[in-house]
Amino acid sequence: MKKAKLFAGITLLSSVALTLAACGKSESRSDESKTASKFKEVVPTKAAKKGGTVKVAVETDTPFTGIFNDELSTSATDTEVMQYGAESLFGTDDHYVFNNKGAATIKVDQKAKTVTVEIKKGVKWSDGKQVTAKDYEYAYEIIANKDTKSQRYTSSLADLEGLQEYHEGKAKTISGFEMPDGENGRKAVLHFKTMRPGMNTSGNGYIWEAAAPYHYLKDVKFKDLMSSDKIRKKPLFFGPYKLQKLVRGQSTTWVPNEYYYKGKPKLSKITATVINPNSVAQSIKSRKFDVTQVINSQWKNVKDTKGVNFIAKIPLQYSYLGFKVGKWDAKKGENVMDPKSKMNNKALRQAIGYGMNVNEVYKRYSYGLSFRIPTLIPAQFGDYFDKNIKGYTYNIKKGNEILDKAGFKKKGTYRVQPNGKPLTIRLAAMTGNSTAEPIVQNYIQQWKKLGLNVKLTSGRLIEFNSFYDKVQNDDPSVDMFIGAWSLSSEPSPNDLYGAKAPMNYSRFVTPENTKLLNEMDSQKAFNHKYRVEKFHEWQKYMFDEAYVIPVANSYSITAVNKKLTGYSLKPSDSMGNGFPNWYNVAYAK
Amino acid sequence: MWKTILRRLLIMIPQLIILSLLVFLLAKMMPGDPFSGSINPNTDPKQIEALRRAAGLYDPWYVQYFRWVGNLFHGDLGTSYIQHVPVTSLIADRASNTFWLSLLTTILTYSIAIPLGITSGRHQDQWQDTSVRIFNYITLATPGFVFYILGLWLFGFTLGWFPISGSVSASASGFWGVLGSRIYHMILPAILYALITTTGTVQYLRTGIVDNKVEDYVRTARSKGVPENIVFHKHILRNSLLPIAAFLGNTITGLLSGSMIIESVFSYPGMGKLFLDSIGQRDYTTLTALILIFGILTLIGNLLSDIIMSIIDPRIRIQ
Repeated sequence: MKKAKLFAGITLLSSVALTLAACGKSESRSDESKTASKFKEVVPTKAAKKGGTVKVAVETDTPFTGIFNDELSTSATDTEVMQYGAESLFGTDDHYVFNNKGAATIKVDQKAKTVTVEIKKGVKWSDGKQVTAKDYEYAYEIIANKDTKSQRYTSSLADLEGLQEYHEGKAKTISGFEMPDGENGRKAVLHFKTMRPGMNTSGNGYIWEAAAPYHYLKDVKFKDLMSSDKIRKKPLFFGPYKLQKLVRGQSTTWVPNEYYYKGKPKLSKITATVINPNSVAQSIKSRKFDVTQVINSQWKNVKDTKGVNFIAKIPLQYSYLGFKVGKWDAKKGENVMDPKSKMNNKALRQAIGYGMNVNEVYKRYSYGLSFRIPTLIPAQFGDYFDKNIKGYTYNIKKGNEILDKAGFKKKGTYRVQPNGKPLTIRLAAMTGNSTAEPIVQNYIQQWKKLGLNVKLTSGRLIEFNSFYDKVQNDDPSVDMFIGAWSLSSEPSPNDLYGAKAPMNYSRFVTPENTKLLNEMDSQKAFNHKYRVEKFHEWQKYMFDEAYVIPVANSYSITAVNKKLTGYSLKPSDSMGNGFPNWYNVAYAK
Repeated sequence: MWKTILRRLLIMIPQLIILSLLVFLLAKMMPGDPFSGSINPNTDPKQIEALRRAAGLYDPWYVQYFRWVGNLFHGDLGTSYIQHVPVTSLIADRASNTFWLSLLTTILTYSIAIPLGITSGRHQDQWQDTSVRIFNYITLATPGFVFYILGLWLFGFTLGWFPISGSVSASASGFWGVLGSRIYHMILPAILYALITTTGTVQYLRTGIVDNKVEDYVRTARSKGVPENIVFHKHILRNSLLPIAAFLGNTITGLLSGSMIIESVFSYPGMGKLFLDSIGQRDYTTLTALILIFGILTLIGNLLSDIIMSIIDPRIRIQ
């Protein structure tokens, strides 16, 4: 399991919303690569001055919860409203690999099975106290102690020696967490059961990347922590800004943290205010805020706004078409594939893939802000992404050939199964914005051209909760489904497609898949070249078998006041928390 | 009279039990639960399962129901699954927001509707009446959410006169600053909401006046030589206000239930918004508490209306 901050902070719901929201009305688009160069990731750099207030829009339907603690927070909106103070311990390069430019340094030692973390001197909480090794350990305690009701405890984190014992209440301390210079020292040595090749990458899920102020929180009982004022009203952070004022659910106001280890930040104030997503386009046009996230379906309304820079990144997420070929065995905790299931036919799945005119659909409905993706490993992962795989490009002729060859004969309008039984495929798809329905209907029409009778499960699009209820519980009324994932920044697909992964909603298990996934995360895979090779092999395998067909991803665009400088969406410019480094943001002279 | 009230209060008990049972079961029947939204590749399903079990979501429904009812009797509405604070504090927070917004709205509604209704009834079929009726048809025919969004767009964004969301600005400080900011945030939603909810009141009042004008007692009063102004205010208007008084009880209790639509459009953190959010997030504890409160408010509202009616109209005496 992976770490749940940052990119990962986006839950299913919001990632789906993002993906679907990315489909708007028609506007032509050239090709994917051209669109990619349409946006920059950074606003132009200018000479900065001191002072000024930056107003940031927080777009959400619901008031934020306001649990200002990485170990306890479960909502993406909370992560968003605390980004100004909640800096992560580690910095990364643009491919999310740890570098030592953040608040702490990290060293992975495969042989000794240790990870050494050293917090830099001068990294201080907003009350002036040095961040210590104990603060780092305390984050682990908050996660693992059952009383806190944290959702963050995972079997991956339990790779740390003694964490499971602590979690189960069998041990009072975490035996694998060593503090060579004592609690007030800055050094921590973490002892692991098994070393993983992804450990040098942010979001790997084995190493927690935040600290919690022990000296400040130690008087609060674990069970009261989540609702305590020290978390909810007056939290401590070691990032560039500290929380000055909170209006529950509505806004947070931040002022410089004078103890910030890189120096005093330049802005005099930042306010983050909740606005209804329906008001976003108007807010950008009337420049109510200095930083606003664009909702892609409203792009046409806002793109000509003067006085703002539009910058964008491609988030770590994708939508996909999954085929149900088995069931989850809750007792054994593993996926069981049913070789006789309707969709367990490679030719059928491939043909369905060739029948999707993803590019045309998004050209029509998303202003070119969404685009087809060829493989299940996003291009942002650098060399792990296999650029030779072209994916399922729209090709009705090829689809028909494949089906003919595999014995799906036509009887009237539609094809029948090779055994002569009629074939109806039921597709589950989620409700989204106004374009969700036409997009799905379009696919159904294309599949009809292949002679495939595809019907919507329940006869219409399904609301988010019901959708996942059906998909997670392997409802027999679902043969295939269009879902979406937001990914962790460590590329291993084991948690989504492994034999023991409950989120492998297709329920496919093949020896080859298991072998490749294991190899990717094996000790041998500490060799980068070997790991890349295995990633490429897996992508080829998944393309060929088509148990899951990747569909699309979308730009995530931010409108930034032209007077601001230093605002960057590059991972290397982030504070390790997936958000821009606010220390660098200032008004231009 | 007291007997009646007591009897009505007693009838409320089985009504509330049935309501609470229905509410509870319907809430549980919704697909998904408070934890389904937090499932992503970065949480461990085992941990989520453990939390579900700890929260008692796997207990049989009657166990869950009686636990809930038991807590109710201790004044404990539970802890919100999503917000992680006691539901009582959450509701208290929102109820005060909603109360002030509704109060302002109600005052505005009556101060717009009553003069309009009187004008319209008094000058039946004249130009005043026609204009009021046109206004009435427009407000009746306009869907609330369209009207609110239009108002938000015009006064909030285009003219920039009013804030666009929330109940208080982030920069407000000090008692007066916060109070001022709160009122400032309420004005636009209250005016828009009031304008569109006047229809019923105007119409009832107008019809009342028109009907009463031709009643025998009015003719008698006139033939006795009572001045026209007194005939209108004492004889006609008083009687015409009865239908409005009939709604007064529910109007009073309605001050706390809020409006889902206006609160959503303005992202105003009130009871209506809380209700909507708790459905979306499957926040059972908040949801069931709110429905129960709404149910109690409706029952009390009806009772209040009956009591008010029996006080002001001697013809209606409940036995």
